[in-house]
Amino acid sequence: MNEEQVLEQEVRRHVLITPWDGLLKLLDPVYNWGRRNSIWPLQFGLACCAIEMICTAASRFDIARFGSELFRASPRQADLMIVSGTVTKKMVPMIVRLYNQMPEPKYVISMGACATAGGPFKEGYNVVSGIDKFLPVDVYIPGCPPTPQALLHALISLQKKIDGQSLTSVRWYRKETDSEIPVPALGPDLLDVRRGQEIKAKCAGLEETKPAVLPTMIPAPLPGNTLLVKAEELLATAKRLKLQPDLAYDYLANLTCTDYQDCYEVVSHLYSTRRPSPPITLKVRARKEDPRVPSLTPVWPGADFQEREVWDLYGVRFDGHPNLKRILMWEGFEGHPMRRDYLEPYYEAPGKIFPSRWKEGRHQRAEERVPWADNVKYPAGFDPAAWRPSAEEFQPVASRTLEKLKTDTLVVNLGPQHPSTHGVFRMRIVVDGERIVALEPVMGYMHRNHEKIGERNTYLMNFPYTDRLDYLCSMSNNLAYAISVEKMMGIKPTERAEYIRVIMAELTRILNHFWAIGFLLNDLGAFFTPALYAIEERELILDLFEMASGSRMMCNYLRFGGVAADLPEEFLPLAAALVNGRLPKAIEQMDRYLTRNEILLNRCRGVGVLPREAAIAYSAAGPVLRASGVKYDLRKADPYSIYDRFDFEIPTFPDGDVYARYRVRIAEMWQSLAILRQALKGLPAGEVQAGKKLWNLRVPAGEAYGRTEGPKGELGFYLVSDGTDHPYRYHVRAPSFINLTALGLMCQGHLVADVVAILGSIDIVLGETDR
Amino acid sequence: MRIYGLELLRGLSVTLGHFIASYTEGFKRTFANRLRGQVRQDPSERGIFTVQYPEERLRVPERFRVLPVLIFNGKEGEKWTPAAERCTACGICAKVCPPQCIWIVQAKDPASGKPTPKASEFFIDVDVCMNCGLCAEFCPFDAIKMDHTFELGGQERKVSHIFDIDKLHVSTEYYAKTHPKAWAQEEEARRKKAVK
Repeated sequence: MNEEQVLEQEVRRHVLITPWDGLLKLLDPVYNWGRRNSIWPLQFGLACCAIEMICTAASRFDIARFGSELFRASPRQADLMIVSGTVTKKMVPMIVRLYNQMPEPKYVISMGACATAGGPFKEGYNVVSGIDKFLPVDVYIPGCPPTPQALLHALISLQKKIDGQSLTSVRWYRKETDSEIPVPALGPDLLDVRRGQEIKAKCAGLEETKPAVLPTMIPAPLPGNTLLVKAEELLATAKRLKLQPDLAYDYLANLTCTDYQDCYEVVSHLYSTRRPSPPITLKVRARKEDPRVPSLTPVWPGADFQEREVWDLYGVRFDGHPNLKRILMWEGFEGHPMRRDYLEPYYEAPGKIFPSRWKEGRHQRAEERVPWADNVKYPAGFDPAAWRPSAEEFQPVASRTLEKLKTDTLVVNLGPQHPSTHGVFRMRIVVDGERIVALEPVMGYMHRNHEKIGERNTYLMNFPYTDRLDYLCSMSNNLAYAISVEKMMGIKPTERAEYIRVIMAELTRILNHFWAIGFLLNDLGAFFTPALYAIEERELILDLFEMASGSRMMCNYLRFGGVAADLPEEFLPLAAALVNGRLPKAIEQMDRYLTRNEILLNRCRGVGVLPREAAIAYSAAGPVLRASGVKYDLRKADPYSIYDRFDFEIPTFPDGDVYARYRVRIAEMWQSLAILRQALKGLPAGEVQAGKKLWNLRVPAGEAYGRTEGPKGELGFYLVSDGTDHPYRYHVRAPSFINLTALGLMCQGHLVADVVAILGSIDIVLGETDR
Repeated sequence: MRIYGLELLRGLSVTLGHFIASYTEGFKRTFANRLRGQVRQDPSERGIFTVQYPEERLRVPERFRVLPVLIFNGKEGEKWTPAAERCTACGICAKVCPPQCIWIVQAKDPASGKPTPKASEFFIDVDVCMNCGLCAEFCPFDAIKMDHTFELGGQERKVSHIFDIDKLHVSTEYYAKTHPKAWAQEEEARRKKAVK
């Protein structure tokens, strides 16, 4: 034994030798403790679940208690991506890119049914069947939407998972791991570039598909007050309707299209803001091959986005439209998805109820049924390698010459992932120096095929889907839908139900305006204090909704001819305490806190002005219209439900700027409180459902356009029935969508920082904008 | 002349009020027996508004709904049996389900092969379910109800998110505990029907 060996033996006897790995393991508790208590989420929301995520960060649930309050707007600083809501095909490339930009260690929580597997919108043509097809997910939360406490529970599970990790085995210290995920592309359908070879091989074997044969109908006889004009006479008729003083149909409320057996019928609903007059429905028909009609934009500029939507979804060309291109889907998408013969990849039957569910209903995922094993389809002979993305077409803006200086304009993209766009909304802004020359909204990142699914649903099934339109105001959406169907069926709800509906609708208006004001201030830079105060009040109203309907956000409370269930006995005392005690104080406080604040005044006055005439011409609705001095509120102008019984004012402000829109909202909250007091006082006893509640009701053939004054503006439903139990045409007139038509006009000449304020003052919700 | 900033300060007094209330209300809570251990959920609440989840939980109303469950006549902890099963496989829940997330297999009599009014298999795809509660609302046999359990987060979805008939069944005892009022009403209605 030499000296060295003896020494080694001695050392082994007296010194505890720990291998390198073991030493690192000793560090694990400290390493994990640090990470688990500082999980910073990415400030990033997709859909309804994002609202619950925001509530989790607000005062009632206070995610700060878990060290996760720092919602980072930049992926470079974030640890956790909470995929909160429906992942659409149009949005998924951005999500993957954001994930790639996050540094390791990074985690993903899939929040809600949609993010996990497509949820209730799974069958839609623009919906990805689960984010785990692209990203590795750590925790899945079931629920639609999961409550804030469920999200906190998931965060705790993630912390537990982190506790179990070890420095020696984590993926981000391994040399061989590369967490970069290939970004999918938007071809004729969503292209997962990892599956390129497989797609090519399968497409080579595909045969040209024949158009599907589906039940269609021929247009019903024209109802009253309807004009059917020839395409070549359309513009002249439109001009006459608008300009002739005794007609004065200056307000185009809704424009959409129906696909009939022998034609496409473009229908528009016209109203007058100047005199109470019965509405006029203007119809024009286009043949099935290469459908074309003249554009109405020269007469009513508010038709702009709506005509683009019809082109996108139905393929009807509008001659004379200044900028006719797709709006909800992307350029290059194969097919016009709302046509009757367009079948989605997961198509199962022309209408629900699917026969595979009952009697021999063995569970099968939609993926297992289709050849691609995913929610995609490609044309025959398609080769991903040969495919080139079509450059996004935008209107060119020429560079300008200022006095002596020739400057180039610069294009700035805001969104779709931006904390101030209120969702996945994008604006393409052309700036000349600091000033905005042109702004074009780009949307569809949350287009989850509400209308296509709605035409397959039975009438009752659409109720919970309407909850998910403007997910802040599910009660008002329920009301608008119920009124439209009741109009066709000719039923009337009971007295008590009418009062309950008004109570719910006005509570919704208050919570929506609180939220809108809170987040407008957020956009202005008053980061979260006003929003937190607003959310506190909203939470208390949500408690009432939950008590009555069972869910905070997705109430699904109204039924045709009534409401789902009578109010629980503890509802009324709490509602009275809110309406008479807490809410007036809170509105007064908000008013004192903000209304005359000098910074707010400087940022909001004279910014984003929408003049009175433009507001009407661009079909602006709700607070946006009334802030431009137009006294037009459907609760008075076209009374529905029992609004004619209540005493209230319509607040208007003449300036048409951001400040006026803020003031209108505060004033409307006071009016809603006045209505609520009267409604709570007058609430009669009795039944809450007229007749028997049916799940399979049939609606007589015909069509109806029902409109209500939602918190964001005119929310209407255009329904065509063929006498069966599901609508032949189901269209939502979405105020968030149509109010955006004037956004470009409002932003011209302002600074980029004003854009977020102007957008905040319009108050959009992307679930409704993109549907 | 207006002094710039006065209104700003006036506004900040509101924030200061909230700040002070969070302490004064906190003290009240510490010392008043009446408030101790109560979840801050009342409209009269001022100051700190936080519910200290997971130590305390928001009281949920009886109608609160997350996922559907099937009810069988029995006690908690028991396993369901076809005899105790309330479901008759009539299929109304599958027919009203808006996203069509319910799958039902009707049981067959093993001897004759004729269908019997029982469900032998019952699936709910949790990843499609929209928690709307229409199934529970229209079930004529009080067999499917909306559960209150919301702590469902997990690390896997492919297997665990398909609820089968074993996972879905809960006892009437459990249901009576979560939905005392609805339970009492339903029992009353059943009694009346039995008398007739």
